[in-house]
Amino acid sequence: MSIEAHGIRKKFGSYTALDGVDLNAAQGKLVALLGPSGSGKTTLLRIIAGLEFPDPGSGRVLFHGEDVTDLPAGKRKVGFVFQHYALFKHMSVFDNVAFGLRVRRRSERPSGASIAERVHRLLELVQLDGLAGRYPSQLSGGERQRVALARALAVEPKVLLLDEPFGALDARVRKDLRRWLRRFHDEIQLTTIFVTHDQEEALEIADEVVIMNKAHVEQVGTPQQVYDKPATPFVYQFLGNVNILRAPALVGGGRRGLQPEEPDHEGQIYVRPHDIEVTLHDAGGSGISAIVRHIHAAGPQARLMVEQVQTREHVEVEISRSELTDLNLRVNDLVRLRLRQTHSFDEDYAI
Amino acid sequence: MALVFLACFLILPLLVVFAQAFSKGGAFFLAAVREPDALASIRLTLLTVAIAVPANVVFGVAAAWAITKFRFPGKSLLTTLIDLPFAVSPVISGLIYVLVFGAQGWFGPWLIEHNIRIIFAVPGIILATTFVTFPFVARELIPLMQAQGTDEEYSAITLGASGWQTFWRVTLPNIRWGLLYGVILCNARAMGEFGAVSVVSGHIRGETNTMPLHVEILYNEYNITGAFAVASLLALLAIATLILKSAVEWRQKGTT
Repeated sequence: MSIEAHGIRKKFGSYTALDGVDLNAAQGKLVALLGPSGSGKTTLLRIIAGLEFPDPGSGRVLFHGEDVTDLPAGKRKVGFVFQHYALFKHMSVFDNVAFGLRVRRRSERPSGASIAERVHRLLELVQLDGLAGRYPSQLSGGERQRVALARALAVEPKVLLLDEPFGALDARVRKDLRRWLRRFHDEIQLTTIFVTHDQEEALEIADEVVIMNKAHVEQVGTPQQVYDKPATPFVYQFLGNVNILRAPALVGGGRRGLQPEEPDHEGQIYVRPHDIEVTLHDAGGSGISAIVRHIHAAGPQARLMVEQVQTREHVEVEISRSELTDLNLRVNDLVRLRLRQTHSFDEDYAI
Repeated sequence: MALVFLACFLILPLLVVFAQAFSKGGAFFLAAVREPDALASIRLTLLTVAIAVPANVVFGVAAAWAITKFRFPGKSLLTTLIDLPFAVSPVISGLIYVLVFGAQGWFGPWLIEHNIRIIFAVPGIILATTFVTFPFVARELIPLMQAQGTDEEYSAITLGASGWQTFWRVTLPNIRWGLLYGVILCNARAMGEFGAVSVVSGHIRGETNTMPLHVEILYNEYNITGAFAVASLLALLAIATLILKSAVEWRQKGTT
């Protein structure tokens, strides 16, 4: 089932959480709502679920073209997984998963045997069969999360909404689980929206990324689109490390020569640390002169902090470990920087 | 140091109560407790508790549920109102009831006309006790329910549960120990309440005397041993309450 939201506005008192937000998730897609905390992404998810309602008269939520704006959460057929899972502490895993079936009206409630069968099938699906008798407090974070997922799926939802699904897990489990979620999504083919503040997570598993900031949607696109062609300075900065240089540096740098030509120009140049090439100054050629101030070589990539000679601006550069060895760089060495790929935005977009 | 303090101010007085109660022997103790007026006061106290405590459980849970799980205008006013009985001296609470329902009060003439007696009668005692003990359950539950948040309730709702089902199957099991704790404290205070009840009761022997009032009357009549005998029953209730309270606290720790 596709999910659409049009012109959603939501205010909490004087605070604007969403200011005319649109969203479109096609059938069967895995969509990430990505943004910093306070950007409104969780509020949007809760409005889609029916746990919050948009400000009166502001916008509509449609499931498969059908207006569900005024339907309460229980009638929308959504599976919602909370950031901290919100498992029922006093119930076993089995009872948690069975809850949604047991609260149905008598005429719609499956028999005890078929509830048990369905619960076990779901626990198998999330690879937790055998833990049915445990209580939430006896499970690890990753297991709790999968119980929450099984519980949400038990009522056969048409869409799945996940609020920071990996937020409360430690780094390693997080990585495993998000790959698992991607495979799982491909298996069950349910339209899924998940909220995250982790760009790596969103770019890795989502079909489509919706980037939010300050109650607005900044950009929508596939992970590659938003990473390669960021629409706004915010997106550029949010999706990875970035150096923001004053324009003179670029005008003078790049492939065109060293001298700043328009010192009054106020525009800014965005360049990713790995899009900067470093050569030794003595080797000659063009490029911005800079001094190496710090070398951080722990990790797959070496990170350099260099200072431009002319503007004294600091620039972060990422090069491979082998390049670092080849250049044989030391702190205070003089180097030249060439910007392979840069990006600039109109002043109107400046943040 | 703390132990000496405790011994002097808490344990010693308690021992004195029991020593005094049995100072003229067990037979005298039994006689003092079995005397018709004493039995009437015990009955009245139990009746009061049997009505005030359940009423406050219902009010308290409803108030805590509303305050912690919903957003609505006037919420902070409601929170303040819950604390009112703690802020006001019990004697004044009693006086307010006299002013409202007494013969010279607002509703006094109307009540006399319809032959309904509230002040200097059992309904007044129950009302005053309910008022004074109102905050215990709500106060106990509000921080607990605030800490638990609303995620579990929202989960239940997205899974299709109704409001009632959510309350009975999710909220109530989560607060059961806190609730029991509140009930115990509420119960202890309801039995021991003196000030407010004293003002509205009228001290009619065998009719409107609760246990604390009966103790006072006996004491004022220089029937020291009799007073302490009834007081020792109240003290016993207090000890039982404390034991129950620690048991609940222990259970609470075990489950979280």
